[in-house]
Amino acid sequence: MDPSEVEFLAEKEIVKIIPNFSLDKIYLIGGDLGPFNPGLQVDVPVWLALNLKQRQKCRIVPPEWMDVDKLEEMRDLERREDAFTPVPSPYYMELTKLLLNYASDNIPKADEIRTLVKDIWDTRIAKLRLSADSFISQMEAHAKLDNLTLMEINTIRSFLLDSLNCMYKLRSNLQPGSSKGQLTDY
Amino acid sequence: MFITDIRKEFYEVVANQRVALLVASDIDALCACKILQALFHCDQVQYTLVPVTGWQDLSTAFLEHKEQFKYFVLINCGANVDLLEMLQPDDDSVFFICDTHRPVDVVNVYNDTQIKLLIKQDDDLGVPSYDDIFRDEEEEGDDSGNESDEGSEPSGKRRRFDEGAIERRIDRQRAKREWEARRREILFEYEQYEYHGTAASMMFFELAWVLTKDTKDMLWWAVIGLTDQWVHDKITRMKYITDIATMQRHVSRHNHRNEDEENSLSIDCMRISFEYDLRLSLYQHWSLYESICNSCYTSCNFKLWTLNGQKKLQEFLADMGLPLKQVRQKFNSMDMSIKENLRDVIAESSMKYGMKDIRIQTFGVHFGFKNRFLASDMVHATTALLESTEKDESDGDNFIKALDSLSRSNLECLHAGIDQAKKKLMAIQQTVASCICTNLILSQGPFLYCYLMEGTPDVKLFSKPMALALLSKYLLKAFVHSTRNKRCKLLPLIMAAPKDVEKGTVIVVGIPPESETSDKKNFFGRAFEKAAESTSSRTLHDHFDTSIIELKTEDRSKFLDALITLLS
Repeated sequence: MDPSEVEFLAEKEIVKIIPNFSLDKIYLIGGDLGPFNPGLQVDVPVWLALNLKQRQKCRIVPPEWMDVDKLEEMRDLERREDAFTPVPSPYYMELTKLLLNYASDNIPKADEIRTLVKDIWDTRIAKLRLSADSFISQMEAHAKLDNLTLMEINTIRSFLLDSLNCMYKLRSNLQPGSSKGQLTDY
Repeated sequence: MFITDIRKEFYEVVANQRVALLVASDIDALCACKILQALFHCDQVQYTLVPVTGWQDLSTAFLEHKEQFKYFVLINCGANVDLLEMLQPDDDSVFFICDTHRPVDVVNVYNDTQIKLLIKQDDDLGVPSYDDIFRDEEEEGDDSGNESDEGSEPSGKRRRFDEGAIERRIDRQRAKREWEARRREILFEYEQYEYHGTAASMMFFELAWVLTKDTKDMLWWAVIGLTDQWVHDKITRMKYITDIATMQRHVSRHNHRNEDEENSLSIDCMRISFEYDLRLSLYQHWSLYESICNSCYTSCNFKLWTLNGQKKLQEFLADMGLPLKQVRQKFNSMDMSIKENLRDVIAESSMKYGMKDIRIQTFGVHFGFKNRFLASDMVHATTALLESTEKDESDGDNFIKALDSLSRSNLECLHAGIDQAKKKLMAIQQTVASCICTNLILSQGPFLYCYLMEGTPDVKLFSKPMALALLSKYLLKAFVHSTRNKRCKLLPLIMAAPKDVEKGTVIVVGIPPESETSDKKNFFGRAFEKAAESTSSRTLHDHFDTSIIELKTEDRSKFLDALITLLS
């Protein structure tokens, strides 16, 4: 999967905006949106929020988890635990990038939030790499990882699968008594 | 006619239509175009952008697009000529003109249906009143009707009536002749001087503000448009300061929006600040020494083309305590201790050397960690890109490149523009120095005259109108500082440079005399027209500024002679 595809899926998440125009309820295939009244908060998917923001028709309200204190707590928790801790949102990385690129004037302390989210991401990816490394070297058959997001899985997917395939080929060729090209099952 | 409510009469009319934007080639027009484009993007209005460089371009563009478009927006072109006469449009085409050229042609002012002027009426326009210029044609018909009625009277009374009728007719004809003479006088006075009004970009920024869609980007573009008028000497200092005050109100309004002790803005957000900064061109992107040598104000006051001047400059730097090594380095690498008080130190020292106005009110922008620009930096960079004389680049390409460099995301374009601007300023300085030292400026009686020969270095740069106009202004300032002849200091300057060697044409620019309190009114437009007519020289009055024309090289001398006779 391409990271842009993951970002596309992330744009379906719901975020709150404050529009400055009025419009009746609109009925889209994915669901109903609206009605829009100036000054009243309304829930919309991220793709619509960004489009309206670029056309200066709304203000984006940062999600609740996008707050310096909460993110600091999460980062410290992540650093203490060995396993993966629950994430603020299944698409936290993509939402941070999108919202901070297009709506950084609506989000207080945007630079610190960017640094904190990057710290959380780095810690989790480090844990993921350790775990993948031990999985391959100890030739385990299966592993269970909780609380991973799609973006993190996506970063490791191709590497992990390719390396496991290579390991499998190497192992099957090392089997005593097997001729070249014959595969044995474990 | 003048538009009073810009939102209802302009924006809401075009918002659901397809519009053609015809934009002139100067920085103010580019900035206005950017602001309008941003507004159109917000409301998804379909538009076509056509850059135009002169009247011929404008007519061609109009002919190409008149089938498809009903609404035309003209930016910085079209107000000072009878547009309907020139373009011959259909009755349903509507033109919205936002132009800084004055005087506005009277037909444009008094046409109610097809021409809408996006110009503020409190710019002192001095438009003559309707009755002074236009007279109803019906009165003529009444006269002849009366005469034919009277003719059918019985013959006995005819002689007496005829005498009365003849007297009345003579009176009417006399009144008509007097009215026409007065009309010619009024029109001549109204149209003889050419000058500039409020920037088009400020007009469109106000539109954005009325629609509450104004962003910092648009504010910055409006500031750049205003600064362009100042850098290219199109408006008086008083007007510039007044307009800066208007912009300052908008800047403070934007800055108070979300700057708070606790919720500070991200570093990537654009911050515009008011600066009382030095008049040294591009000094933050160059070394301080180079900037002082190549800025018009300092170079003319020190007379840097003389040895004496160079010595004075060294004294000046020593007086401020700035070591030469520091001053020749790139500005960003100078010591922090020197940079901190630089402006005050320079302002103080320059008072001793007779430069009282080395500081000027302007604005600066700051986004990201590295990017700081002053408005005048942007103007120089964008002008250099717009008039770049690289091979294989058409006017349209240059226009698009210059337009792109105004966006925040195209910083490499902007930096390339800054480099080209540095080369242009150095070329101007060297040309000024050589002209003064070799006495190329000749006094022709009512004006000064200078001709750049074909072999002059960088003469290709000066085949473009704005570059040549800038050169002439610097040259005139330098001349005024270097000459001892009191009478010559009050003369205007005409400058000519080769434009196209193959076709054998030169470009001629006329600028008003240099003075502290000049009102920047230029009479050369009409003078050039009359001189060309009287000598039947082959001229092309294509540029929107009537004081810039193209002339065949062979006709140069007779054209000049005609001008001398005309103006003395």
